[in-house]
Amino acid sequence: MLKKLDLNASIFVVFALIFFFIGGLLTTVVPPLVDKSWGRPFENHDPAKGVTGKLVPYTEEQLRGRAIYVREGCWYCHTQQTRTLLSDTKRSGWRGVDSPISTPDEFVNDSPHMFGTKRTGPDLSRVGGKYDTQWHRTHFRNPRDLVPGSVMPPFPWIANNEADFTAMVSYIQTLGRAKNWRPDNDYEK
Amino acid sequence: MQVTIPKPQTPIADPPHAPVHTDTTAKWFILSAVSYFFIVGIIAILIAAKFVWPELLGTIPAFTYGRLRPLHVKGMLFGWLLACDMGLSCYLVPRLCGVKLYSEKLGVATAIIWNIIILGAVFSLLAGYNQGFEYGELATPLDLLVVVAWVMFGINIFGTVVTRRYPQMYVSLWYTMGTLLWTPFVFLTGNFGVMLTTGVNQANLNWMYVHNAVGLIFTPVGLALAYYFIPKNANTPLHSHKLSMIGFWSLAFVYVWTGAHHMIHGPISQWLQTISIAFSLMLIIPVWTVVYNFFATMKGQWHQLRDNVSLKFLMSGVVFYLLTCFQGPMQSLRSVNAITSKTDWVPGHAHMAVFGAFSFFAIAGCYYVVPRIFGIKLHSTTVANWSYWFMMSGGIGFFVTLWLGGFWQGWQWNNPSIPFIDTVVALKPIWTVRFFSGTLIFSGIVLFLYNILATAIGASGEARKVEATA
Repeated sequence: MLKKLDLNASIFVVFALIFFFIGGLLTTVVPPLVDKSWGRPFENHDPAKGVTGKLVPYTEEQLRGRAIYVREGCWYCHTQQTRTLLSDTKRSGWRGVDSPISTPDEFVNDSPHMFGTKRTGPDLSRVGGKYDTQWHRTHFRNPRDLVPGSVMPPFPWIANNEADFTAMVSYIQTLGRAKNWRPDNDYEK
Repeated sequence: MQVTIPKPQTPIADPPHAPVHTDTTAKWFILSAVSYFFIVGIIAILIAAKFVWPELLGTIPAFTYGRLRPLHVKGMLFGWLLACDMGLSCYLVPRLCGVKLYSEKLGVATAIIWNIIILGAVFSLLAGYNQGFEYGELATPLDLLVVVAWVMFGINIFGTVVTRRYPQMYVSLWYTMGTLLWTPFVFLTGNFGVMLTTGVNQANLNWMYVHNAVGLIFTPVGLALAYYFIPKNANTPLHSHKLSMIGFWSLAFVYVWTGAHHMIHGPISQWLQTISIAFSLMLIIPVWTVVYNFFATMKGQWHQLRDNVSLKFLMSGVVFYLLTCFQGPMQSLRSVNAITSKTDWVPGHAHMAVFGAFSFFAIAGCYYVVPRIFGIKLHSTTVANWSYWFMMSGGIGFFVTLWLGGFWQGWQWNNPSIPFIDTVVALKPIWTVRFFSGTLIFSGIVLFLYNILATAIGASGEARKVEATA
């Protein structure tokens, strides 16, 4: 049989596709059928079962902000996933409270997904409610005014455009909020 | 079993009229690819500089980091590397088949469409038209053009293979055909499949595409080049035909499973992470068989590296391929991943694959092919040698500093008592070295571009002289 594979182009094509499709189908089409949590929005009202909360759809303004986040490539430097690592739950935590880890059901409304792959800047999966609007305005204008040593680019065209800026901040404040993880609801606005 | 190329093992009678290759398609693809290598190289330098001087061009939206970064990645992968690979395939496939390319007209049309795609990508990405998918940033109309161009390229290559005079297909042909077959499914998943899904499901398709863009597009087409140009340059037969078969078929089976290793520890099912880790480890099989085959081919021939620039690029590329494909499986292990993932280690690893290994193969191919298709000697071997040493020293500086820096960064992240901004400030010396290594690589690219263009222009000058005297 091996001999035929390099003498007959048609047999070659068939085998190359079969080999590819076994793994291709089993790792793309099958997983969401097996793990239903990929497609079911987060909802929990029972504190005994862990952190409570409910994933709500984005408003139109939040979606506009999200589109700016996508357009400016924020996701090349900021991830949105608190991984199953102790240090991640500490770093995504705030004021002494650890963050819950990110689960698939928190991201059902996300398209394009913004999980990211590189952390040049900090992870943003629980940034919602940590900083107020005034902080964000100053930070977008020049990040180094608030965080000396930062390498984030300035974004004056967002900070100086009221509609864009408001949309952007309204999106940022949603991040990680499906899970109501702050003990005293001490979110900034 | 030993195979000498291009003579097939079971030769039919030599064709009475050996085909005359015009290589117009190869010329189009290679010359435009080499130009994009230079143009996108400027973008590369710029984004490396932004890590050192974050304010640089910071108030102009079109030149902000988030818009230049996709242009750098797409431009290098599709404008330079894939275009160059396509051009070189249009050179070696007809020769391995003993016939002319199926259609030069179709090939030139493909190259023109490819150029339209790349120019479209430049302007749309700078204007902020970004779909938000890693490697899948381009707007849908451009994606559709990619599909059209790929089908045209496929018709051309398969058309050549079907009309071949040599019945036995050499390894390079399998790898080229494999690339042609798998790419459409990989590309459609990453650019259209993602639109039908959201959240983790979408991320899973996205990573399947990202991983296999490297594993099932750049790897097989790159290995096709190495399998052709290493024996050709060293003028020696390939060590083992059987080993190359094991390498190919294990690659075909194993690679596609590993996409989820981009989300180790992340919000994706643990069992899927484990599957991706298991198959990532199995990648060692296709890689080591191929690398062993190349090294064994070079046995007793290593002295040729001294004078042959193409071989220098090829064998350094093989070493980088071995290293990068050892890093890959190791990074997928949960323990190692907890340190390296999301750090600057990752660009160090990625650049060694697509620059250190596959771009080196393509550059070697250009240095071998361009003088032959233009029918003239290479403009300057000395300049070619310098281009090698610039790229090699710049490359090593780039890779090694990012690995060390990435590991260091990962360790710092795993100690939550260190504030995040301190881990950023700590990396600044690393990014400075990366920038200067990048300028070395870029100098090598400039010399490479100059040499290739001078050869091509020299050839047309010669042609004019011949015409004038005739």
